[in-house]
Amino acid sequence: MLLRESGEHTGDDYDLAAIAGEGAAGGGVAAGAALAAYADTFFDEDRAGFPAARSRLHGEVGGEALVDAAGVLAIFNAVVRIADAIGIPLEAQKARMSADFRGALGIDDYPAAAGKV
Amino acid sequence: MSVDAAAVETFDYRLSPLPVRGDLAATQRRAWARLAAPGEWWPGAVRIAIAEETRAAEACGFCRERRAALSPHAAAGTHSRATDLPEALVEVVHRIRTDPGRLTRRFCEEALAGGLGDGEYVETVGVIAAVVAIDSFCDAMGLPRHELPAPAPGEPRRRRPAGAKDGLAWVPTVAPEDLTEAEAGMYDGLSAANIHRALSLAPAEVAGFFDMDSAHYLRDAQLRDFGAEYRALTHAQIEFLAGRVSAINRCVY
Repeated sequence: MLLRESGEHTGDDYDLAAIAGEGAAGGGVAAGAALAAYADTFFDEDRAGFPAARSRLHGEVGGEALVDAAGVLAIFNAVVRIADAIGIPLEAQKARMSADFRGALGIDDYPAAAGKV
Repeated sequence: MSVDAAAVETFDYRLSPLPVRGDLAATQRRAWARLAAPGEWWPGAVRIAIAEETRAAEACGFCRERRAALSPHAAAGTHSRATDLPEALVEVVHRIRTDPGRLTRRFCEEALAGGLGDGEYVETVGVIAAVVAIDSFCDAMGLPRHELPAPAPGEPRRRRPAGAKDGLAWVPTVAPEDLTEAEAGMYDGLSAANIHRALSLAPAEVAGFFDMDSAHYLRDAQLRDFGAEYRALTHAQIEFLAGRVSAINRCVY
């Protein structure tokens, strides 16, 4: 949802489907495809492709941004566990504002979505 | 001293091949120190044991088999455990670590019925989250993970927030208007959104986790300040990556 708001502010039309692995690989976000590959390979069982994906991202965004990316990936890998283990629902306003793309991307079909949206 | 050993010992990543922001390392140091100390519901030794199980779950064959099963209830077996924690607690830790996207209210209820107090359950989630965040950062940086600290002596405080109420989530939570003096600073700098309230039965976990969150992600006040960039990644890049990680974990929040 914040990606959509960010795009509205800057005038960019991001493809939100890319977040869930659908649509354009990078969603129109600068270095989006490299960011997606970075996340995808990190969560692969063997992480075999992760070093190459990290090098690619490094090449596209630089070292400082790569550290930022590691921080974002790390903290969200933790936040999802808090949300899902505690059964925290989306706030009503956020649920309303995200209903269209949640439905379109199948996010509402996630098992963890039951009773939370 | 090798680069790896120095990175672990100093926790400031000064020998990391890539510069790690000082504020980010500082929040991790604080989280590591908090991990070892008595919490609201668990003594330091149990918190460190939970951290050990968080790591052990990654190599647990039963967890891997269950994660691959169509339903988490379809697999049967025993965990490869690292500690002598009670089985019910080991199950909670391993499941949250390895299969968070299929947790249900029933899972939480079974954990509480198995003998865990709701405050203990919440603090367990907070410990898991801290370890996952810092371990994931090290993994993502290609750096060795930090050694877990030795537990600090002392007893847990065991102060239940007086304003905790049922209704929002699977466990009671504290709304900002129900804060008492004992946990008055819990939401300082935070909007008290639902995710901030999640760990509120263990107030130190709220403040501690979102201390880390503010340096790894963005401060609350920066989230919608689209006119300024606070990181080397743009708002859009941060949100795209965050959304992708949530989607991979099949998390709706």
